[in-house]
Amino acid sequence: MKKVISLALAVSLLITTVVLTGCGGAGKGGKSVVIYQNKVEIGEQLAAFAKAYEEETGVQVTVKTSGGDSPYAENLKAEFQSDRQPDIFVIEGMGGYNTWKSKLAPYGDDEWINLTSLGFKADGKVYGFPVAVEAWGMAYNKKMLEKAGIDPSTLTSQAAYKAAFEKIDSMKDDLGIDSVVAMAAGPDMRWVTGLHNFNGYLSAGLPYGDTTVLDKLNNGEADMDRLTQYADWVELLFKYADKKVLLTGNYDSQVGQFATQKAVFVHQGNWIDPWLMEHGVDFEMGFAPHASVHGEHNAIFIGAPSYYVINNESKNQEEARAFLNYMATNPKGHEYMVKEAKMIPAFTNVKLIPEAPLSADVSSWVAKENAAYTWLQNDMPDGFGMGTIAPLYESYAKGDIDKAEFIKQLATKIDDIK
Amino acid sequence: MKKKVKDKIVFWSFLAPALLCFGIVVIIPFFMGVYYSMTDWTAIAGIKPNWVGLDNYVSMLGNRAFNYSFIRTFVFSLFSVLSINIIALSLAILVTREIKFKNFFRAGFFVPNLIGGLVLGYIWQFIFKSVVPSIGGVLGIKALEDIMILAEPNLALFGLIVAFSWQYAGYIMMIYVAALLNVPQELIEASEIDGANFWERFKNITIPMIAQAITITSFLTLVTSFKQYDIIVALTNGGPVDIFKGEIVNSTELLAVHIYNVAFKYNNMAEGQARAIVFFIVLTVVSMIQVNMNKKKEVEM
Repeated sequence: MKKVISLALAVSLLITTVVLTGCGGAGKGGKSVVIYQNKVEIGEQLAAFAKAYEEETGVQVTVKTSGGDSPYAENLKAEFQSDRQPDIFVIEGMGGYNTWKSKLAPYGDDEWINLTSLGFKADGKVYGFPVAVEAWGMAYNKKMLEKAGIDPSTLTSQAAYKAAFEKIDSMKDDLGIDSVVAMAAGPDMRWVTGLHNFNGYLSAGLPYGDTTVLDKLNNGEADMDRLTQYADWVELLFKYADKKVLLTGNYDSQVGQFATQKAVFVHQGNWIDPWLMEHGVDFEMGFAPHASVHGEHNAIFIGAPSYYVINNESKNQEEARAFLNYMATNPKGHEYMVKEAKMIPAFTNVKLIPEAPLSADVSSWVAKENAAYTWLQNDMPDGFGMGTIAPLYESYAKGDIDKAEFIKQLATKIDDIK
Repeated sequence: MKKKVKDKIVFWSFLAPALLCFGIVVIIPFFMGVYYSMTDWTAIAGIKPNWVGLDNYVSMLGNRAFNYSFIRTFVFSLFSVLSINIIALSLAILVTREIKFKNFFRAGFFVPNLIGGLVLGYIWQFIFKSVVPSIGGVLGIKALEDIMILAEPNLALFGLIVAFSWQYAGYIMMIYVAALLNVPQELIEASEIDGANFWERFKNITIPMIAQAITITSFLTLVTSFKQYDIIVALTNGGPVDIFKGEIVNSTELLAVHIYNVAFKYNNMAEGQARAIVFFIVLTVVSMIQVNMNKKKEVEM
């Protein structure tokens, strides 16, 4: 019995010590900023950058990372409950904003705000610092387009795409391709159709940040005119895609078709860069706009998948904002973002160009005026993109339903949201 | 009297840990689940669920995707139970005969069961997408070369049954092997003397003698195929699409996958929970009927 008691005592003592030391760190005042972020792949680079920042300014910046296998959102809640609140943390758009609304402090007149259109805004205030930029358009193989005698800068409308696709299709054997576009609509690739492609209906041709079509959708209202125009685009992509990749392909087979030069275009974004580099792909490529609806298009879909936000209970808000501002405005910050972390910064003042081919092209689109369409695909109701409408694309691709039925079903599904 | 009390204390204190665990992780969540299935719960902290009575159950009945999923699950389970048991019994008979390397074969047939469902799903995806067409190419069979097993609803379900049988038959085979080894040799010998051929012996002696094993294996295969999740996610991910009464539905989204999608992808926790409870009741009833039917066929020695 005695043994048990002494053991219990020892254990409880041990626990208290651990808990007490855990609390000790948080009470310290002084100039120090804690940033809690979710990109494991840039953890070390960010820490090194923070170290350099400390040497220059004397403000200590601690980088804490969780992500990959461990769920960031849950760990973040644990951090807040354990009173180790970070000064800067990460949200991923509207969903995260709604969860953390009560904890966020808006940015004020920070310099970086005027250098980007991609900051996260809600209720007219800027709440999120864009960590990086990602984008998708119609990625094309430059050499093959040259060979086919097509200038990618002319690909700005459905008519231009149609002519180009027809021409390339007629030269299939000369180019050695299976199909014009590498497109996937199968069960594994529902994010390509239900989210990315459908985002064209939501934002193509509209000014950046315009959410009228999305708002209508969220109220269960379909814009029939736009939907009909959009279906033409889907039809065009499906018609010139390889049936096998279209219906049963996964990420590897879709990107692989483009990488092995068996297709001239691929419906993917710059996130395929690491895949391409890993597989030693070195032909020149770039993005052309999606002609999702009728009219002229001179923009690709650019967005920030995650944002740094400021904790409104932090005592070091000024320092935290200064650190982020430094990252966006100082050449050392640019060096870190582009060369070390291999991201595409969202800021127009960055002159460095990423090494990866598609990312380099995206940064040229970011630098242009009015060359971005909004990412709205994540602001639809839960499961709507990938669960509700993506199967319609597959059914249409298979030929189970025709275009009229496809449009009708899409409209019905939007109507069901009400 | 005193001893009786002491016995009781000992009994309950030995039982308590297990009972406590069972209560916390099974009994309590089950009844909480029943309660949540009658609310509009979304699992977001801070939002109190509202009581909606049987609404979730009523809406389920008219939901085409759910009805379709139910039908497909029954079809899948029926064919899986048949194919797994037939394959397993045939293999068991083979490896209990006097053949060379029989232990090697027993182990070999069992190995697929040790591979996780997800891995196995991806392996079979590769087979269906790449290996089958290239075999067709080598043999010059055009139909086989162009076949897209995972793009056609019924073929995809067939593919699932093949992959699942491949995984599970070895395990069931082991149960049959144990049962076959327990069939008394004297009965077999007696029948041989009476001039019974292989088929007669199998039908009149072996089957009745292993009826107990058949009860167990049918139950196991029925329940596991009803609850199948991981192979489906890896192999077909619910697709390809099919049209059911004018509605576009996912042809291999069987009940377990369907419930998961409703609950987590659409964030309709309460609706998913209601479907899970119906799933539980149906599975219990079906498996009890099956066990009862099989039990009647068992013989006591």
